[in-house]
Amino acid sequence: MSFLALVPLLPLLTAFIVMTGDRAEQDQSARAGLFPVVAAFLGSLIALWVVTSGDPITIQLYDPASIANLAFPIGFYIDRLSAVMMVLITGVTTLIYRYSMGYMYQDRGYRRYLGMLGITTSVLLCMVSSANLVMLFIFWQILSWLLFLLAHNHAHAATLSGAANTFTILRLSDAAFLAGIVLAYSLYGTFEFQTLFTRAAETPITLSLWPDLGWEMNGVTAVTLLIFIGAMGKSAQFPIHTWLPRSLYAPTPVHALLHAGIINAGGFLLNRLAPLYGLSPTTLHVVFVIGMLTAILGATMMLTQNDIKKTLGFSTIGQMGYMIMECGLGAFSLAVFHLIAHGLFKGTVFLNCGNVIHKARQEPSFPPIDREAEESEFSNLTWSTGFLTTLLLPLVILLVTHGVLRIPLIESQGTVIFLFFIWVTSSQAILSLTRIRAVASWKVSTAMLVTLIIVVFTYLFAVESFTHFLYPNPEVVASYFKAAALPGRLFDSLVVGTTVLTILSWGYLYAHAHGRTVKIPGWIDVFLVRLYVLFMNRLYLDQLYLKFGRMVTLVAHHLEKRLS
Amino acid sequence: MIKTWMTPWLLMAVPFLGAALSLLLRASLQRMKTSALLTTVACLLVVIGTPWALGDTLAGVPFLCLLPLTAFLSLLGQPLHRDNTSAWTATLVLLGLGLGILTAQAPAHDVMLLILPGLLCILLYRYQSGATSETWRGLSAYGLSMVSAALALVLTTPASTVALLVTCATLLPLLPVHSGFIATLTGLPGNLPAFLVFLLPTVGFHTLLTLLPNLTVTTLHTVTILALAGAVYGSLRALIQARPLPRLAYAALAFFGMLWWYVADTGTAPVQATVYLSAVGLAASGLLLAWYAIRARYGDIDLRALGGLAYPMPRFSTLLALLALAALGMPPFGVFSGFLGMLLMPTFTPSGPFAVVMIVWLTASWYYTDLVQQLVFGRQRVDVRYDDLRQTEFASLVLLLLLLLALGTAPSRFFDSYVPTPPATVAMQEGTWIR
Repeated sequence: MSFLALVPLLPLLTAFIVMTGDRAEQDQSARAGLFPVVAAFLGSLIALWVVTSGDPITIQLYDPASIANLAFPIGFYIDRLSAVMMVLITGVTTLIYRYSMGYMYQDRGYRRYLGMLGITTSVLLCMVSSANLVMLFIFWQILSWLLFLLAHNHAHAATLSGAANTFTILRLSDAAFLAGIVLAYSLYGTFEFQTLFTRAAETPITLSLWPDLGWEMNGVTAVTLLIFIGAMGKSAQFPIHTWLPRSLYAPTPVHALLHAGIINAGGFLLNRLAPLYGLSPTTLHVVFVIGMLTAILGATMMLTQNDIKKTLGFSTIGQMGYMIMECGLGAFSLAVFHLIAHGLFKGTVFLNCGNVIHKARQEPSFPPIDREAEESEFSNLTWSTGFLTTLLLPLVILLVTHGVLRIPLIESQGTVIFLFFIWVTSSQAILSLTRIRAVASWKVSTAMLVTLIIVVFTYLFAVESFTHFLYPNPEVVASYFKAAALPGRLFDSLVVGTTVLTILSWGYLYAHAHGRTVKIPGWIDVFLVRLYVLFMNRLYLDQLYLKFGRMVTLVAHHLEKRLS
Repeated sequence: MIKTWMTPWLLMAVPFLGAALSLLLRASLQRMKTSALLTTVACLLVVIGTPWALGDTLAGVPFLCLLPLTAFLSLLGQPLHRDNTSAWTATLVLLGLGLGILTAQAPAHDVMLLILPGLLCILLYRYQSGATSETWRGLSAYGLSMVSAALALVLTTPASTVALLVTCATLLPLLPVHSGFIATLTGLPGNLPAFLVFLLPTVGFHTLLTLLPNLTVTTLHTVTILALAGAVYGSLRALIQARPLPRLAYAALAFFGMLWWYVADTGTAPVQATVYLSAVGLAASGLLLAWYAIRARYGDIDLRALGGLAYPMPRFSTLLALLALAALGMPPFGVFSGFLGMLLMPTFTPSGPFAVVMIVWLTASWYYTDLVQQLVFGRQRVDVRYDDLRQTEFASLVLLLLLLLALGTAPSRFFDSYVPTPPATVAMQEGTWIR
């Protein structure tokens, strides 16, 4: 099965075909370039089938025992996680490539763009099938540079500035990742994933951060925290998420790939190193906090944007926060499930986004501004169905879960975490449905119930099966939940707090729909306006970083002046 | 038959003869350049052939080969112009001297080490006429270097060790005696900066290796602090330079500062450090050559004055971007491999200063990306006549990139395959580069 190692190289063939062909025959070259991408997709499917029915595929083109070769150790390790990611990446690329053949037709950089798409896909595939941490990092870094190049229109000043910003921020996280790798090697003497996990579990090491003050840190915590900063960069986590909205000038198919594939790298990395993260509750808690902050801030900033691509960009940031938060709670497989679902959804939205923008430029009446008619009536039946299903849902699921789930989550916070995510997702869907007001309310109510059933069962069975697929050993899954367990009271307050917020939002929705005013003190109103401005300006983080850059430059100028 | 003691003199003789020949052929520029190129090729053959003829191995031959190779590549892309001829001759002379220093034993080694800064002083004075403050600083640094080298000849250890260390610090730039290196890169004409950015650090590092076992803990500690300060200083200065030459010079100072820090911090110089040294030198050399191609067309202009070269000069743009990538430490090029390789050595333990080094490493993405961005991207100017790289310029940059790629991807054992046992002077651990 070693031929499967060639799968990551197939998109390179696409790049070669597209970029080396005659410019006059670029359409034929583009069509020919599609075949290797499709072949890579088929190859990924075969890889998935092979690793599902057997052991992971390991190909090492280096000697892991010799340090002389470790600066460039090429090898492939395709397990179920890698295979799933490969199928996702090649599947999305196939669609994007085919779509781009039409979308980018007659663009000046048509060949360059398609070639870059092939190279990026290849790099992504190599990254997810890396045999060791160094190879993963090498392709991780190359991806940072490719993101700079994929901005595509380098004659446009804003695009150029966004691309440079992207690269600089990603390099910041890359530097932390590199430090994490060096520390890991220094402590455990290996880069091989399995050996690293075993050694880290067997040899607890305490690092002295500041001997005089007695500051100490667990070795695994230090390594995982540094590597997590790497994941934060690629997955646009707060506060280094600013590159994503600034890179939105790139062609929309690039964003489909970025939001459906590249940005998931953080989630993949945490899953790949899950056994290591499972050893450090502190890091998992940090991951949880960062993820939660990103989810909240990303979603809030999304609501205040007035640009379709920026809205989608911040939606992705919020979703990535959600995904990272799941990892922080120990639900690693749930994060992979989430990234696949989000990738497919966001890829579709972005591919359509360009057409919407184009249509809006052509037709002044699009999108419609007047939404008065939509707000005219309110359906009690719809609202009641939504309210009851949202609140009764946890109870129903809990009853079903006891009898159905095979994962031993009952003793830990795992069950609640799964239930919580099911609840939040279905609430979101049902809340959206209530916006269809008086239009055949019984149909809407039925739609709500169907949505509820779909969401619940998809989560219950798909996620459960997926967890079993990615992490066949239930004890391992339980150990992750145990490591990620938050202090009881904090966890309870979080769950209760979110529940109260959901109920309040239902109440507000009801009151608002009936034209009732909810009395809010004046200072809160003022505060909300300020908050709106703050989020509309993306917390002024871009300006803050710019200021920091200017400050460094100023110091350097001052230094130069003094010395000359 | 060739004897071992003849090796350095033979290696020196070939380029010196080539320099004399090229002077004789001054009437025809084409012949003069061809002669210089052939001399470097002959030199390369001698470097490879001598150990073979001796039936012995010559330590560090792969690295030694890089010296004539860099000289060859720096000469290859040079346009045929009367102003460049003295730089060609100087390149050959410096190549001979460099090879001599790298292969000779004391006291010949020490004497040649005294001559090298002297020659650089002459070149600096000749080409800048002592007009700028940078030149004077450079001349002072090389003057100090000469004095130190002379003192090292007459003093005994440990004073001679410290004196030689100062000479090393002027060649492999270390704060505060880096001015000579900066002046060389920014002031000398033609291909000389592109060649010297590789030669000087190589010679300095080689001398440092011989000194390393004799350096005290206090000295190493002082060097560590100076190296860190130099790396930060170089990065900050590189950030704010509007002209490429000083930017590249200070960037090289920052990267060599990291090497100084590593060697002083661990007290070792593994083969990966040599890979790093060579790769940083080659990458800087490539960037200087690329800039020379622009300078030959448009003069020594501000970075902001030119832009949008991606479409009208695709070959130049692609190579510049790749060279910048290599220089800022991206895989699969040698700078990354060397740096990572050094950090993975068992002698290295991450500590507080490592964070500073990582910041310096990170800052490189800022100024190198900016360099590429300013030149390659942006709007194309309508008032500029664009002219892409000529065949020889293109070939020299491509070959440099290939060398960087080879340094990055070849297993390190390849580089010490010629190393004889037991080590002659420095024996710190397996995989060290030995004289």
